[in-house]
Amino acid sequence: MKGYHDIVGDGGSRILEQVAEQRTRIIDGLAGVRHLVAVGSGKGGVGKSTLTLHLAGALRARGLRIAILDADFNGPTQARMAGVQGALLVPGSHKVALPRTRNGIAVFSMGSLIPESEALDFESAAHGESHTWRATREFALLGEILGSFEWGELDLLMFDLPPGAERTVQYADFLGPRTAFLLVTIPSEVARGVVARSVAALSKGPNRVLGYVENMSGYYCRDCNAIKPLFASPEQVRPSGLEIPCLGTVPFDPELARHCDRGIPLAELPDTPVGRGLDHVAQSLLDRLESTAPAAAHSSRELRPGREHPR
Amino acid sequence: MKFLCVPCDSPMKLQTVAPPEGGSLSVVYSCPECGYEMAMLTNAYETQLVQSLGVRIGPGTSEGASSGASSKCPFPAMMPATEGAPESPRDAEPGPVRWTSGAEARLANIPAFVRPMARTGIERFAREQGAQEVDERILDQAREFFGM
Repeated sequence: MKGYHDIVGDGGSRILEQVAEQRTRIIDGLAGVRHLVAVGSGKGGVGKSTLTLHLAGALRARGLRIAILDADFNGPTQARMAGVQGALLVPGSHKVALPRTRNGIAVFSMGSLIPESEALDFESAAHGESHTWRATREFALLGEILGSFEWGELDLLMFDLPPGAERTVQYADFLGPRTAFLLVTIPSEVARGVVARSVAALSKGPNRVLGYVENMSGYYCRDCNAIKPLFASPEQVRPSGLEIPCLGTVPFDPELARHCDRGIPLAELPDTPVGRGLDHVAQSLLDRLESTAPAAAHSSRELRPGREHPR
Repeated sequence: MKFLCVPCDSPMKLQTVAPPEGGSLSVVYSCPECGYEMAMLTNAYETQLVQSLGVRIGPGTSEGASSGASSKCPFPAMMPATEGAPESPRDAEPGPVRWTSGAEARLANIPAFVRPMARTGIERFAREQGAQEVDERILDQAREFFGM
């Protein structure tokens, strides 16, 4: 009797073929993207989204072509912070154009489409059993977005991931080995412990883990123009114990938080310790991307400051 | 999932997919050798799991079907949040705006799940431009207006 693998095709449903076609559309759509970088943590509330946006801004200020995909479909924040809330999705002849920030960063966020007063919802045949299928549906949607939008020629496509160590690994599996990971923590042993779990989980797969950023590393007091401890004094905080490189530290700045709420780019803030910290992280990230890139990715182009925007 | 006619040792072929009922699909397969027919009846979990892959199931599905072309897929009827369903009644705007076939074809490039929201936004833009019809010129205007 024939076995499963002896039979070509599936009798007409073409489910596997359609999944393969989806993958091909994603690969084709991202062919012009030099680096895929997922910004994750495992821990919620450490500032992944804020760091993603402002790191993108620091990279954009160097003339690089940057896009952000807010992969946190259930808690999207990039639309508000990037100033693209309510932006239209406009279809072209083949793909859909992406909204852009004032400083030219392309952004996809469900927050552009769904009001903050509403939750992302999918119709279901299995009512009350969303734990059995929801993640699959969300990843299918992510695939549709990757395959449908005009990513074009980019230096970096940054994914702003949702929290959860297990989710981080699911994104690694879905996005494939091309995607490198940047993890975000704060000076808290609890947060570092969760990030360490993400590192451990990612280390079992092929994805590069570029390093981590310590966010909220003190706060910037404008009155005394100094960085002060936010969680614990530096001498109280033990070394992170994370066995990946630290790409830099970024202090918390209440003024920056207000800018995020209003969708104002960091570039419109005067020179601050936060800006300098982000600029250092941006350079470290580029260095790590180049130094850890697979041989094939080195061959054609290098990331150089000052590259013109394609438009 | 594949089905094998054991007496013929021959793969069975999908024949029909009945409209969904209570979260269940009825998918009929037949053996091309002996003509024997059998039906696969899914429970709601199975139906939903396949639906969650973002694929279509049914005879005659062809390339492009998964991205929005017409098919015999029964799932859209089960997915009022996506295509084939009333589009975002909560966003209903006063006065109808027509869509030309060319503009509709371009709209189909948008993932089905977010298409109703995109449609509403574009219609709003068209009204703001004093247009009662969305054509490809309006879409190009929108791209330019939003710096895309």
